[in-house]
Amino acid sequence: MSERITIDPITRLEGHGKIEIFLDDEGEVANTYFQIPELRGFERFCVGRPVEEMPLLTNRICGVCPEAHHMAAAKAADAVYKVTIPPAAKKLRELLYSAFFVTDHTTHFYALGGPDFIIGPDAPVAERNILGVIHKVGLETGSQVIQARKYGHRVVEMIGGRKVHPCTSIPGGLTQGINEEQRAEIEAMGRWAIEFAQFSLKIFNQIVMGNPEYVEMILCDAYTHHTYYIGTVDENNRVNFYDGRVSVVDPDGMRIGYYSGAEYLDWIAERVEPWTYLKFPYLKKIGWKGFVDGKDSGVYMATPLSRLNAADGMATPRAQEEYERFFSTLGGKPVHQRLAIHWARLIELLYAAERWVELATDPEITSDNFHTVPTEKPSEGVGIVEAPRGTLTHHYWTDERGLVTKVNLVVGTTNNYAPISMSVNKAARDLIHNGTIITEGLLNRIEMAFRAYDPCFGCATHAMPGKMPLEAIIRDAHGEVVEVVRQYC
Amino acid sequence: MGDDGVGWRVAERLRGHPLIPGVEVDQLAGGGIGLMERLIGYQRAVIVDAIYTGKFPIGSVHVFGLEELENSFAGHLGSAHETNLRTALELGRRLGVALPEIVTVVAIESQYVYDFSEVLSPAVAASVEGAVQAVLGLL
Repeated sequence: MSERITIDPITRLEGHGKIEIFLDDEGEVANTYFQIPELRGFERFCVGRPVEEMPLLTNRICGVCPEAHHMAAAKAADAVYKVTIPPAAKKLRELLYSAFFVTDHTTHFYALGGPDFIIGPDAPVAERNILGVIHKVGLETGSQVIQARKYGHRVVEMIGGRKVHPCTSIPGGLTQGINEEQRAEIEAMGRWAIEFAQFSLKIFNQIVMGNPEYVEMILCDAYTHHTYYIGTVDENNRVNFYDGRVSVVDPDGMRIGYYSGAEYLDWIAERVEPWTYLKFPYLKKIGWKGFVDGKDSGVYMATPLSRLNAADGMATPRAQEEYERFFSTLGGKPVHQRLAIHWARLIELLYAAERWVELATDPEITSDNFHTVPTEKPSEGVGIVEAPRGTLTHHYWTDERGLVTKVNLVVGTTNNYAPISMSVNKAARDLIHNGTIITEGLLNRIEMAFRAYDPCFGCATHAMPGKMPLEAIIRDAHGEVVEVVRQYC
Repeated sequence: MGDDGVGWRVAERLRGHPLIPGVEVDQLAGGGIGLMERLIGYQRAVIVDAIYTGKFPIGSVHVFGLEELENSFAGHLGSAHETNLRTALELGRRLGVALPEIVTVVAIESQYVYDFSEVLSPAVAASVEGAVQAVLGLL
C-alpha cells in the first residue's frame, strides 16, 4: 500500500538542494522530487531601474557566470532601444565572451565534472575534487588551469573594464575599445588557450574514453534521455555563444524550427508543479506531457551537448574535427547520453579558444567605432546568449523613459529543470533497489546525474563558505523516512 | 542580496578608517577559486561575510580562523558551481602560489541571504559596526 505524501512548498529550503526519494512496497523507487532554492524578488528589485543599469545589476546574479548575464542584459537593452550596435562592438563583446567561456568550461571540467571521471565516482569524498585531479594529472596541469582562468579574466578586464563583472556594455555598444597593444596580448593568450583546450581533450580521451568502465557509465541507460535540444546557431547553423537564432531539434535530431529573441514566448512555456517554487520550461508547440522522454513530450534540454545536437557543426576547424569525432564515436547525432555533456563541454572549450584568436586577429577589432547612440524610444526587448550551462534569455519591458517596468529571465539551468529532475529520477531508480544500502558513493552517482548539467542553483552561494548543501531523503511506501544522507548541511 | 551584502557594508565602513600601510580593502562577489586568486601575493587575509548557521542570534559576530570551518567541502560538491575556498587555497598552495598564511573570517550570522534587497535586515545592520571593530582588532 502506498500513501499519498504532500510536499509542502511553503517550507523554506534555506538554500538546500533537496532530493526526496519515495520507495514503493517492494523497496523500489516509485518517484523522486528534486527541489532547488529559488532566487526571490529579482524581477521586483529591478523595477524602476534605468534599463542601462541592467548589465551591471544582473552581473551580480551569479558570482561564476556574471559575463553571461551581462551580455544577455546588454543585448536586451540594445533591443529595448531598437539600436544596432557597430560590428566592432559586436566582435569585442563576443571576444570577451569567448574568453569567459574558456575560463568557465575549464573550471567546470577540472573542479566539478572532471573529478567524477578522473578520480572515479566511488573514490573517497576527500579525493573527489580538484586536488585529487591535480594529484592524478600533475601539478603542471593545475598550473595551467589557473593560467587559463587568469588569461580569461585578463581579457574580460581589458574589454569589460573589470576582471569578472564586466561593466562596459551599454545600449548601442561599449564604452571603450582596445588598442593594438592590448589586441596583441589578447591574441597571444588566445593561442595559448587553444593548446590548453587541446590538452584538456587529450586528458579526457586518455583517462575517460580510454577507461572501459567510464565509457560504459557514459553510455548506460541510467544516464540517457531522449528529449528535444536547443542551442544558438549562426547563419550557417554552427554553434555560436553570443548571437544568432535558437535552433530546436527533436529527439531524432530533426530541426523543427528556430526562434529569435522576440519569438521566445511563442516557443517556451512554463509548467507549475505544486511541490516546488521553480517552474519547468517546455516547448509550447509540443506541449507538457509530464516528466517523460520522447517526441510527444515538450521537455527539452539546453546544455553544451544540446548545442552540439542542435547545430550542424562548429565554426572553427579544430573544434569541427572534434565535433565529428564525438558523434562518430557515440553512434551519430543526436547524442542522448547525459554524461557526454562533459565531452561536449571540452569541444566547446576548444571552439571558444579558436574563436578568441579569430576575433583577436580581426582587422576591425581595434576600431574606434564601438558605440551607436540610440535614437528610438525605449519599450521592450529580449536578449538571448548561450550561457555555459544553457540558453539564457533576458526580457525587459520599460516605460518611455527607459525605466524598467517588468523583467522575465529564463536562465540556463532553468531550461534544464525538467531534464535534471528526470535524470535524478532515472539514476535513483537504476541504483536503488530493495535492500540497497545508501552509501555516499551511491549518492554521488545520483548527483552525477545533475552535475553533468553544470547547474547554477540560485547563484546565491556567496555567503561563507559558498556552499549548496544537498540533502537526500529516502522514504518508504508509507512516507516514513528510511534514511537521510546529507552533504554539507 | 539583502543580508548577503553585510560584508560589503563592513568594507565600506573600513575604508573610512585610517588603516596601517599595506592593508587593502576590497569588495568581491564570489568565492572558491576566484577568491583564492584574489588573495595571491598577500601574507594575511581577513574575509568578512554573512554566514547562515541557524545556531546563533541574527546579527551576532564571530571571528575564527578559516581552518576552523569544518571542511565538509573536501568534496567538490561544496557548490554545484565552484569549489570551496579551503580547497581552492590548498590547490593554490600545492601549485606553489604565494597565498596568505593566515586567513581569518569575520562572519555575521544573517537571515535574509537569498532575497534581493538593497538594505540589510535590522539585526544585521546593527552588527556592522561590531564587525568593523572586530576587523580593526585583528589588524
